[in-house]
Amino acid sequence: MEGFKSLVVILLSSVLVNNYVLARFLGICPFLGVSKKLDQAAGMGISVTAVMLLATLVTWPIQHFILDPFELGYLQTIVFILVIASLVQMLEVILKKFSPALHRGLGVYLPLITTNCAVLGVAINNITDGYNFVESLVSSLGCGLGFLLAMVLFSGMRSRIDETEVPKNFRGVAITLIAASFLSLAFMGLAEIVNNLIG
Amino acid sequence: MKKDGNLSVLLNGIIKENPTLVLILGTCPTLATTTNVFGAFGMGVATLAVLICSNILISLLRRVIPDNVRIPCYIVIIAGFVTIVQMLVHAFIPDLYDMLGVYLALIVVNCIILGRAEMFAGKNSVGRSALDGLGMGIGFTLALCSMAAIREVFGAASFAGIAIPALENYKIEFLVKAPGGMLVYGLLIALVGIITAGKAPKKKSFSCAGCPGAHICGSSDCAKGKEEA
Amino acid sequence: MKKSIRSIIVLVSICAVVSILMALTNSVTAPIIAENDAKNANAALLQVLPDGGSFETVDMSAYTLPSTVTAVYRASNGGCVVQLTTSGYSSGMVIMCGINPDGTVSGSKILSSSETPSIGGEAAERFAPTLNGKTAGDIETVEIISGATKTTAAYRSAVKDALNTALILGGASIDTRTEEEILQDNLDSALPTAQGKFTKHFFVEVIEGIDAIYTADNNAGHVCVLGEKFVGVDNEGNALTECTEDEAQTVKTAIETINATATELVDLSAYEGLPSQLIQAQKSATGNYIIEIKAAGYGIVGGDEYHPASGEYIMVRVSITADGRIIDCLTVSQAETEGIGDACAKESFYGQFDGKTEADYTEIDAISGATLTTNGYKQAIGRAFDCVKIFEGVNS
Repeated sequence: MEGFKSLVVILLSSVLVNNYVLARFLGICPFLGVSKKLDQAAGMGISVTAVMLLATLVTWPIQHFILDPFELGYLQTIVFILVIASLVQMLEVILKKFSPALHRGLGVYLPLITTNCAVLGVAINNITDGYNFVESLVSSLGCGLGFLLAMVLFSGMRSRIDETEVPKNFRGVAITLIAASFLSLAFMGLAEIVNNLIG
Repeated sequence: MKKDGNLSVLLNGIIKENPTLVLILGTCPTLATTTNVFGAFGMGVATLAVLICSNILISLLRRVIPDNVRIPCYIVIIAGFVTIVQMLVHAFIPDLYDMLGVYLALIVVNCIILGRAEMFAGKNSVGRSALDGLGMGIGFTLALCSMAAIREVFGAASFAGIAIPALENYKIEFLVKAPGGMLVYGLLIALVGIITAGKAPKKKSFSCAGCPGAHICGSSDCAKGKEEA
Repeated sequence: MKKSIRSIIVLVSICAVVSILMALTNSVTAPIIAENDAKNANAALLQVLPDGGSFETVDMSAYTLPSTVTAVYRASNGGCVVQLTTSGYSSGMVIMCGINPDGTVSGSKILSSSETPSIGGEAAERFAPTLNGKTAGDIETVEIISGATKTTAAYRSAVKDALNTALILGGASIDTRTEEEILQDNLDSALPTAQGKFTKHFFVEVIEGIDAIYTADNNAGHVCVLGEKFVGVDNEGNALTECTEDEAQTVKTAIETINATATELVDLSAYEGLPSQLIQAQKSATGNYIIEIKAAGYGIVGGDEYHPASGEYIMVRVSITADGRIIDCLTVSQAETEGIGDACAKESFYGQFDGKTEADYTEIDAISGATLTTNGYKQAIGRAFDCVKIFEGVNS
């Protein structure tokens, strides 16, 4: 029961309190780049969640059964990024072969994920936070869902911005970042609520 | 791409194609490490070091590396340099290491570095690549420091950790929080847009130009980025 | 084919070269990093034990230490630093405490805490210096801070554990069990068939030579306490523990007495002037009374912003002889502030009333930090005496 509660806390805090995009600034590039339309935003979010889970599934055992016993901790960054890159490649090949429909939907986002710092970030953070295997998976799921949530909400905001008259120099990135700032502000409020709930 | 003079290669990264404020690359560290000028400067210099080293090595190896495995090769080289920088910082500037945390390792996925490898170092001579890395790195560092200066001075009433007593009672703490970072970044980009109006290359949308996936990516922005490239 | 082989060779050789470079850097930086870490850890230890010199980690498995202790470091000057995590109320505070070679506190601080930073944390910071120089013997004389009683009480008890740890490291054997744990251990060895569950018998008659009787919840028998001795007996009063003939006779009489004791309810409506707090009264065949009465403690008359009042009375059961001497006293239920007033539910508090009369019942030791609880309790006992006088028709 105690263990289950701590998993819920990890999940909630990684979705709402420490939202990767809006509170920890990981994965900003796709957040700004691929959030123009709802379907794109959702596709990217789902792909990232899937890759995060897969990456943790592989990197956690590598860290604890290979790198740590052989004192190769300094290889962490290089091994993790290669694992993520290969996973993304494999996922793309597999999707292309077995589910062309899904590949048409999500395939375009996959190559972008290799350089998505949120994925590498979650893999490294799971190690530094000292999570066990199950906790790591839950935390990855939470981070992915948090990313998806932020993407979907933000795509809604951006569709509104497109319909408004924005001062010339603010068009494009500037107004997008300012809008993102408001979404981040809203999440700060949410974080406080969650903190009080599970305090 | 027409061949510019060496000086313009250097200045290009600092002003005209400033990676942070004009190309909008490396947004994650820009937002995450600019609550403190010390941290921002450290992040900038660490990135600069990785950028120069990886640009030089990749340019040296540009005729050796086969095209089909170039991205993995670039990633390995960059990750190697990042880890080396990470270890050096951990050993010699532990305060900075604690401050930057995971973002130090995440230099690996900073689009600026992979972007410059793909766009410049893979196609140009060693000297020009080094200059390009230096310019881009300085541009990145300057942008980070100016943003950190705004956030730290007005948000925390201090500069590089040294308190400014005159502002002690006028702190806008919002600025050092997550949303404040996005707001300041947005305003700075708009400001740069006003200052360089007409001079800088018109950058209407997000750059995917440096993104290694640009040629596969279906998004309309990326297609545009590809054309520009 | 040739192309892909070349690709693989290039990729692998780049990997190899980069790995070698990294290994080289690592071999240079790793010792420096390790040294820095050790220096930082040492600096934290020196903060609480400035004269400590250098430190080495103590193998905790070699000693029986208080359960709150999480790490122990032995200093080269003969002192030690103990790291503890508080448990119970105010749990989760991580405290580091330095002990001088002479067994006094050299310093202590909170490493991390889930306490409300503005109240508990700040109070603990103010509280820590007052403990410096104290020993295991006199640390409990330090007054806890009102308004943050929970935090400071937990802090004081953690520092006491640290002091005991230092004594244990020095070779002293200290029983780190709490009073409750000692009692439970004694009961278990006297009557193992009870499987660890006992209820204390509430005396209605004065039984000579017996301090307490614990009845097994599973009806396996009783344990009689004769001073230091715990004697297990069956339901008929036959001693199961080895004991002298006199002791066997005493416990036999005791069990027969409690088996034979019958009580009947007193009709309260037959009397006038009874206090409204009185809930129930019983009278035994031998003329003693069992009074159940409400006591207005902190839960009724207290309450502040940190520790709100619960709105609950303390329920007290007390048996009194017809001529006004307390036989036994017990707290049936209470909802006083955790960690402070709730000590009224401990035998160390209510046990003090045994044998007292109206003349001297107020002379008991108050619960530290819980004046309102103690006063409310005493008032209730006083009213119980009044009840007995009314039942017996004595004019007060």
